[in-house]
Parts: sequence; C-alpha cells; structure tokens
Amino acid sequence: MNLPNYFLADLPDDAPLNAAMITEACQTLRRNRAQYLAGRSTPGLIRMLHSTAENWLAEDYPFRQLALKDGPAQTGFSAQTLAHGLDDFFKQLTAENLDALLVQELGHAQRLDEFTANSGAARDHRAALARGPELLVHIAGGSLPNPTLTSIVLGLLTRSAQFVKCPRGGAFLPRLFAHSLYDSEPKLGACLEIAAWPGGSEALEAPLFAEADCVTATGTDETLAKIQSRLPAKTRFLGHGHKVSFGFVSKEALHGYNTKKIISRAASDVVAWDQLGCLSPHVFYVQAGGTVAPEQFAEQLAAELAHREATGPRRQLSAEAAAGIAARRALYEVRAAHSPDSTRHWCSPDSTAWTVVFESDPLFQVSCLNRFIYVKGVRDLTDALNGADAVQGKTSTVGIAAPEHLARELARELARWGVTRVCPLGEMQNPPLAWRHDGRPSFGDMVTWTDWEQ
Amino acid sequence: MTDDPTFSDFAAALRGFIRDSTRHELPPREKSFDGLVLELFRLQFAHNTAYQNFCRHRGQTPGAVKSWRDIPAMPNIAFKELELTSLPPGERPTVFHSSGTTEQRPSRHFHNAESLALYEAALLAWFQPHVLPDAAQMEMLVLTPPPEPAPNSSLVHMFGAVRKMLGAPGSCFAGRLAPDKSWELDFQQAKQSLNSAQRAARPLLVLGTAFLFVHLLDGLSAAGAAIRLPPGSRVLETGGYKGRARELPKEELHRLISEKLGVPRANIVCEYGMSELGSQAYDTVAGRGGARRFQFPPWARALVVSPETGREVADGETGLVRVFDLANIRSVLAIQTEDLAVRRGDGFELLGRAAQAELRGCSLMAA
Repeated sequence: MNLPNYFLADLPDDAPLNAAMITEACQTLRRNRAQYLAGRSTPGLIRMLHSTAENWLAEDYPFRQLALKDGPAQTGFSAQTLAHGLDDFFKQLTAENLDALLVQELGHAQRLDEFTANSGAARDHRAALARGPELLVHIAGGSLPNPTLTSIVLGLLTRSAQFVKCPRGGAFLPRLFAHSLYDSEPKLGACLEIAAWPGGSEALEAPLFAEADCVTATGTDETLAKIQSRLPAKTRFLGHGHKVSFGFVSKEALHGYNTKKIISRAASDVVAWDQLGCLSPHVFYVQAGGTVAPEQFAEQLAAELAHREATGPRRQLSAEAAAGIAARRALYEVRAAHSPDSTRHWCSPDSTAWTVVFESDPLFQVSCLNRFIYVKGVRDLTDALNGADAVQGKTSTVGIAAPEHLARELARELARWGVTRVCPLGEMQNPPLAWRHDGRPSFGDMVTWTDWEQ
Repeated sequence: MTDDPTFSDFAAALRGFIRDSTRHELPPREKSFDGLVLELFRLQFAHNTAYQNFCRHRGQTPGAVKSWRDIPAMPNIAFKELELTSLPPGERPTVFHSSGTTEQRPSRHFHNAESLALYEAALLAWFQPHVLPDAAQMEMLVLTPPPEPAPNSSLVHMFGAVRKMLGAPGSCFAGRLAPDKSWELDFQQAKQSLNSAQRAARPLLVLGTAFLFVHLLDGLSAAGAAIRLPPGSRVLETGGYKGRARELPKEELHRLISEKLGVPRANIVCEYGMSELGSQAYDTVAGRGGARRFQFPPWARALVVSPETGREVADGETGLVRVFDLANIRSVLAIQTEDLAVRRGDGFELLGRAAQAELRGCSLMAA
C-alpha cells in the first residue's frame, strides 16, 4: 500500500513507538488544532465531511478502491462485506444529517460557532455556546470501523484535535478515512493522529492519557474500567461497553410476499459485518401461531444465508474460531438427533460459513457470531423478553418486524424493558448518524457549555 | 451376568489384539483394526439407542459405513446430555465424570466389570512402553488424590491401576480433596516422598496434572527446596489448569520441572486422555528425547479434522482431534473432541481447546 507517512499508523510494522513520540504527536495536534481547526465554522466542516463521504461512495475514489482491494487481507472481511458496510456508513454522512444531528443533540446547528438560543431561552434572554475538548483521544476496541469513523466525525464537528488509538492490526480503515480527510483538506488531516498498539501498553498510554482532555473508549466492561482507573481526574471519560442485540418477528408480519422480504432483512442483519458488531443479532425471536411457523422461518433464513454466501462470502476464520463454530454445531447436531421436535439446525456444507439453529426453548443464547444465528419460537414479545432475562440491561438494539399498528406498542414494551434502540429488521447494523449510542447523547460529556444570561 | 455375549466376544478379541500388538514390535495391524472397528460399530449401533439416533440422523448406519473413517464421531459434549452406553441402568457399577467445577452436568462414561478390566488392560499396555520402557516397576509419587475419595475420575483410576501393577513399594498419592471437592496437593507429603527418593537414590516416577505440578513447583520455590531426583527418575504430566493455578506454557512448565526436580526434559512424558476415552496417547518415550507428538496405541486412531469441512487435514495443518478407540467398548468408539491440534504424520501436536467450546479436562474435579 503506497500511502504517504502522515500518521504513526503509516510507519512500518517494525518501527517501534515510544513515549516521546506520543507526547510529541499530542503537542503537534494541539498546535495544529489552534492554527487550523479551532476557528473553523460548522457549515464549512459539514461541507467538507459531506463531500468526502460522497467521494467514498464513488466507485473510482482511490481510497475506496484501496479499502476494497487491500481490505480483505487487512481486516478479514470480504470485499462485498466491506463495500456494503462502508456504503451504509457514508450514505448517512450528509450535510442534512449532520445538521439534524447538531440540532438534535445541541438544540441548534450553530451551537458550536456562536451563542444561540432556542425559543424558550430567547424569551428568557439566555443563550449558550458549546465547545469541544482540545485533545480528544479515542481508544477503539471493536472489530468494526464504523464506531471509530463516527467518533472522528463528531470530533471534527467539535473542533477537537484527535488521537485515535486502534488495536494492533485494526487501524486499516480508520487510517484510510484519515487519509481521505487529509486529502480533502490537509490542514484538517493534520489535526488527526492514528496509531495502533496492543491495548493496555502503559508506556504509550500513560503519556497519551496525560495529554488528553477527553477519552472515549469501546471494549469490555473490564477494559473500560481499567482505562478509566488510569485517567487523571480532570480527564473526561466516555465508555461504551459490549452489548448484545436480537430481533423480534411478529406473527402478523409473516404473510405472503412479505415473508420473503422479512427473511431477506433478517439475513441482511446476520451478514452485515459478518455479525461481529454489538448491533448484530444473536437471536431472532419469531412469534408462533401465524402462517409461517418459527421453524419454517429458520429454514427459509438458512436458504437465504446460503444465497448470500454465494454473492458475498463471509470472511475466512482462524482454526480456533472455526473450531468454536464446529463445536457449537456438534452440540446442536446431538440435540437435533435426540429431540428433533425442539431442536433443528442448518449448516453451510463443507464450511462454517453460516449456521441457523432453531430451538423451541426461548432462552437467549449468545451466538459465536460469524453468521451463526439462533431462531427461537415464542408466544409473544413478553415471552421473548422473559427468555432474554439474562441480557436485560446489556441489550442495545432490537430489530422488529411488525405491522405499523403493533410496532408502537412493541417499541414501548422494549423501551420499558431497557432496550436503547428499536429499529426495523434489516437495519440493525445500520444506525442513523443521529442515533444515541447505548442510549446516551452523541456528544455526551464531550462538549462544555457556556451559558450567557443577557 | 446378563451381558450381551457379543460384547464379551469383542472384549476377548480386543484383548488378543492388545496383547499381540504390544508383545511384539509389530507395525499397527491395519487389517485387525479395520475388522474390529466395524464389528464394534455394528454392536454399538444395535445396543446404544442414543448413538443409533445420532447415526441415523446423519444417515450413516452400519450398512452404509465401509471404512472406519466414516463412522460417525460423537461430539464429547454429548456425554453431558445423553446416556451414551449400551449398559442397562442397573449394570453400571462405575462411572467416570469429566472434571471442572463450572460444569453443572459432567460427562459420564459408564463401565461394568468387563469394560473396566479392558480399560485397565489397554491403559497399562500403552503406559508401560512409553513411561517405563526400561523398568518393570518404579516407585511412584502421584500428585492426585487416591482412588477411594475420587471414584469418578478416570485419571485417578488410571493412576491407581498403574500404581497397583507397576508401582514399587513406597509409592504413594499426595493429593487430597479440598472442602469444595476440588483437588489439592499435600505439599509436605509430596516433599517427603521426593526427599526420601533422593536420599535412597531410588528413581522416582512423578505423575500428575499440569496444575498440580505448578502447585508442587511453587511449593518447592517457596520452601527454597532443591530436589535432585536420582538418575532414571521421570515425570508423567497431563491435563490443563482450569483456573486452579497460574497457567504456564508447556515449555516453561517442563523447564521448571527439570530445574526444580532434576528430571531431564527427555524424561518428561505428556499424556493425552479424557474421561470419554478408554485409551490414551503419549507424546514421547521416556528417555528418548527429540520431537514430541502424541500417538495413540494400535487399537485406537486419531484423525485431525478441519473444523470447516470435517475432513482430515494435511500434514502440518491445524484441526480438531477425532479419536476412534476400540477400548471404548460400552460407550461410543468414535469421539469428536474440542481439542485443537496440528497433524504430525499419524500423530499430533496439541494446541489447546477450541475457542468458545465448553471447558473440559481432567485437571479439576467437580463437586
């Protein structure tokens, strides 16, 4: 790959990083921010982001081509999976959506530029201005690029210099995005740093945390607690722990041609990013009593996954990960042989590419992912939520398939139960730009307000 | 005895096979194995309902299976869910459980007197040429508890049988059950046994699981004790950790054993076995040195199969261990394990347990 050496992640793999390099990078970021970014206007930044996103959607954009050409070797995802995931992300990144995000989160699109007031505040002669942290550090933990790309976008809007720490081997797509921003506007690219090292490295992270004004992180609860314990008290911390997601299909949704559509949407949720994100479903709960039995749903989903594998294959797995799937399949094969009425399973032939397990028991199961999905029959949503008891409070997204007149009540029940995002089936791994990650505000504690009582 | 006579016939034939294949240094007798394995498959299919269901589900019945490689291998997790035995409920005097404190339902491998006697004959016939190729007997220090308080451990049963048949006077068990029924080491007793072997200049065979060895080594370090076991002493090490001790890479464990006990690394033999199997594999012959790879006896075969396709991998590739074991007379002869290994010729090099599969192993006993 022939990219210029703009970022630490561009250095050869054998070039070791040290504390002095991290400190120096942070100081350079701060200087560049003061010079090139702090004084920028929101509309200008939005224009730049919008046009960069449009570039990414063009087939001949060099960074897109590079992502799809080298991405399979660098990330493991197939070119089709990458293309689909990146398209979903960049289609959302429009001027209109960015404006809407600012209005939703900060009450006004110019909140980061000048003192503004909504109507209530104006009546009281009050206005407010929001500022971002000078140096924002992201500790990216997951296997998907989208959360990291979103973080970079939000950080640009808040005029923050940003240091993005990726896991070792996980910098490829954030790095390409950073290069594309650099390409759009070199001065803004100079307010970004991308680096990769194995998480927990005290020697590199101590100087980074000492410089940071705000740290965002994704990872396990344990990882987040460790990071937080190492931050100075003045540093703000925004952590996103691991979550699970599942789907619910109402019996009314499964009729005639609609069934095919819903099966296709369910398959889209399983194949998106090979099911590796917190928003990917582990289980589809299918309501019994309709024209399509849960078991038939499972069988049709298996056929659809076979079809998807032919057009957009799953990534190659390590022997360990494949063995995990093989061992799990073996368990269900035994159960299916012993009690075929309550357990059935469908597997890709001669590979671990996809697996569907049908169980009549509604108990939530954590999938081994990589396109391994459970389908469970339930009486209703309450039955499903009882089965998912173990993941209450740990559930991010529930994708639902239900007629409009029922969807509202389902969403209400899910909200009461603690779900933070309800979306149509098929969109689970494609949240809108303005979604509230884990039910928290997008900018969260990143911004600091100044209230002006005129 | 209401035993089906055909199983007894098979047991007699297998005893003959075991005797023949270890008495002389014959190459594995392909023909005998092939004949016996299909015969045992037919018997087990006919008399083991849970296994029969599984075979039918796969469409691989005795009529359809022509080669031992095609015999359906039962995933070992099935031993937790089903009673995989041809023995009726009243005729199972012995049961071996898989180990592990986290397991609510252990694996169960049922035996009667006949199958247990066969188990012992099989284990001794392969243990002796690997661990004691040069000695009829040796004093033994076993780090596990003795058989009486641990009747459901196949490993302890094996060590008990080995001690009874091959242990010189003075052999002892230095393990005991902790109040939570897990295994722990009586360090003082172990140390005493080591010291007395050293003083008397009698070679000692120390047998135990990896985690009990770690406890022993940690104890010796803490006590500042330096043991130099007499020449000819050796070690048999097996199993994993199950969170019962700090985990050491195999290399490191062997280096420490060698350093703290004075046993040369060539005299450390690793065993691979599990409660679902009647036979064991060893990775070297004591004193031989050189490359290590696990090998089963001629009455058992291991395949390393691709987790993607289920077919045997090429030499040097990684896959899951599948064992065909004629000594599993009353349970299921073909077992699909969750252990990852690299195929080395007709043997294998163990890597560890498959990710996300349930923990299992012989190194920690369930309550």
